[in-house]
Amino acid sequence: MSRWRTLRFDFSAMASPCSVQMDGQDERLMRRAAQAMIAEVQRIEQKFSRYRESSVVSRINRAAGQQWVEVDAETLGLLDFAQALWTQSDGLFDVTSGVLRRAWDFKKAVLPDQGQLQALLPLVGWQHLERKGRQVRLTRTGMELDFGGFGKEYAADRAAAVLHNHQISHALVNLGGDLHALGGRGLPESASAPWHIEVQHPRPDPAQPQAPLALLPLTRGGLATSGDYERFFIQDGQRYCHILDPRTGWPVSHWQSVSVLAANAVTAGALATIAMLKGPVATDWLAAQNVDYLMVQHDGHRVHHTQQLPP
Amino acid sequence: MVMASAAVAAVATESVLMKKTNTSHFLPASGVLLASLVLPGLAALVAATPLNASAENAPEKSTIAIKYGTYKDSQPGWDRVQVDAPQLYVQAPIAGVWALEGSWVGDSVSGASPRWHTQTTGASRMSDYRNAGDFRVTRFFPRAAVSASVAYSNEHDYTSSAIGLDARWSTEDNNRTWTVGYGSSSDRIDNTYSGGDVVNQRKRTHEFMAGVTQVLTPSDIAQFNLTRSFGEGYYNDPYKTLDTRPNSRNTWIALARWNHHVESFDASVHSSYRYYNDTFGVRSHTLGLEWVQPAGRWTFTPGLRYYSQSAASFYLDPIMDAQGNYDAQAVLMRAVSLNGQNQSTDQRLAAFGAVTLSMKVAYALTPATTIDLKVEAYKQRTSWHLGGSGSPGLDPFDAQFVQIGLTHRF
Amino acid sequence: MTKTLLNILAITSLAWLGGCSNLGQVNAWEKGNLAKPEMTFESDPLDQRFVQHIYGSKENSSGGYGVGGGGCGCN
Repeated sequence: MSRWRTLRFDFSAMASPCSVQMDGQDERLMRRAAQAMIAEVQRIEQKFSRYRESSVVSRINRAAGQQWVEVDAETLGLLDFAQALWTQSDGLFDVTSGVLRRAWDFKKAVLPDQGQLQALLPLVGWQHLERKGRQVRLTRTGMELDFGGFGKEYAADRAAAVLHNHQISHALVNLGGDLHALGGRGLPESASAPWHIEVQHPRPDPAQPQAPLALLPLTRGGLATSGDYERFFIQDGQRYCHILDPRTGWPVSHWQSVSVLAANAVTAGALATIAMLKGPVATDWLAAQNVDYLMVQHDGHRVHHTQQLPP
Repeated sequence: MVMASAAVAAVATESVLMKKTNTSHFLPASGVLLASLVLPGLAALVAATPLNASAENAPEKSTIAIKYGTYKDSQPGWDRVQVDAPQLYVQAPIAGVWALEGSWVGDSVSGASPRWHTQTTGASRMSDYRNAGDFRVTRFFPRAAVSASVAYSNEHDYTSSAIGLDARWSTEDNNRTWTVGYGSSSDRIDNTYSGGDVVNQRKRTHEFMAGVTQVLTPSDIAQFNLTRSFGEGYYNDPYKTLDTRPNSRNTWIALARWNHHVESFDASVHSSYRYYNDTFGVRSHTLGLEWVQPAGRWTFTPGLRYYSQSAASFYLDPIMDAQGNYDAQAVLMRAVSLNGQNQSTDQRLAAFGAVTLSMKVAYALTPATTIDLKVEAYKQRTSWHLGGSGSPGLDPFDAQFVQIGLTHRF
Repeated sequence: MTKTLLNILAITSLAWLGGCSNLGQVNAWEKGNLAKPEMTFESDPLDQRFVQHIYGSKENSSGGYGVGGGGCGCN
């Protein structure tokens, strides 16, 4: 009577392996939805990647210290969101902190030149971004906007929105580890069961390198993880990771990883990153955010919290 | 950019010990979440999640259920009525915005009922078969639904047809749902073929209902319904001697229900109270309590129900003789002398209380198929009438009913 | 006595619920528990039909749960 099936589409975007998995009965509809979804992810990448010259972000960066740039409603929305994150994190989550990467070379594993860092720090600061109606301006030459802190998560949520508009109600979007689930499993034999997400172990055991840190059930909403193992190097026994404190230019070191489950991926990702940046006080802060989380401290100790998880 | 893959394991491993916290008060949403809702399409995504408690969405799957129910009642020293009832239920969504629902039951009834009070002498014996079915079609809209239904019931001396129309709609945050409904039924009684003298009598009822369902907290949902019905026609019970009832019956019914989720047990408590009042003079209270406890594939639901009704205004108590025995002669004389006036010795119109203890056990063979067994013990005692003073001279009444069923979604 | 019982029930419920601020303002993403099958009002339609039919024929009160059900000559 019903022809339930699972389809999975793998693709590459934002320099990451991506996939979407769907349970449904109408295969043609599912394929159309997947195509529209992939197109939307690519659209966002083209529009907001600082690696693309034609992107909105690149246009704003080229005009830094000079003229105003006119932007559209979607960009204004993301700027509003960046503003909210900057405020909520007491200035730790700052989309202008990308310039600091010029001082850090994770491939060469060399500590930055302190003078170079000092020269870059004045270019970091959301307060140096001006807005006037639909126009935006970075006030100092050399400043850079970087939406990399929530770009992939935003794309995951928009992807889910596109699927939702195609009447897909059982899907899991995975953009390089930033996930958005639209309803649980749909197949009759596993109806409403959550998708089970393997969270990468920050310090994998060499005997079992593939063993995950945890298996988190996700039925609806976003799951994102921020960790100190994505880009890093170790020197003299000290780990230096890519998550930099915008006030000092140096990496944070209190948490190995933070995973957050929230109503959408963009919230989950922002909360995870802010928790990494906040260090020891992150536990209390995250507890007040009304989300589920799993945190691994520098010594391997785990802190986890759950409340009403959707079925 | 963390590597994670979706492992579609049927059973989650215990790699994470999630500590459960007591969240009986809900916390305000994260500021970050609220900020994210200004991004295009994200608010609609969060709001449109099918987690609205009033369920104004067409079901995603079809359901088919079969059940077999048995019922047996008795009073001390005397088995009375026995019923065997196979039942079938089907529900199917159509094109995402419609749902069709239908059910059928075939009761086989046999046994004896008293003609007077709870007197076993001269009891009326019967063996009958009742065929009943209903069909409902629902059309779903965003946050609203409209239904039309028909029902039909047929036994050798009684047929009933009914139609119903109802509509429900929810507020934008899906926390409140309003319901209105209208129903009309038409019954026909005729027992001439079995030698009775009831010829083609009819009864018509109209009922109006309005209700509201309100989400109170993330763990609480409550409902209040008010029903008003008007009925006129033949209400006498032809199997009770000299039973004469008013030719109309109007009722008021108020129902309040509350489901509460208990986080520490991952269980739910269901409580309900119904107040009933009709122009026969009967006032009743029904209190229900259930604890729904899931445990892996099992679900255990113990239940308790208390019912109390006052006697109808035309109900007549038994008359006892000097030795304290039922004086059938006196009761008959009184009935004859009252001929033409409303009168009844039907114990169902007396003042009494009743308690039901129930236990339902369900087991999910697969996430799509569940079997269940429900066992209930019912006891009716005049001494259990709320306030104490129930109708005198009636034997206690007991019943047991069992249901066994299978439900499959596909 | 009924009145006292009802009063106690009403006061207890209100006191319990009054402790929660933001009554009735529940966000969609907080409705995980409410969506569970054990939190619906009528989970098993056949069960309800069978049981309500029994009570309707052994007691003098029926209805209040919905409209459109027919009658029967149950004894």
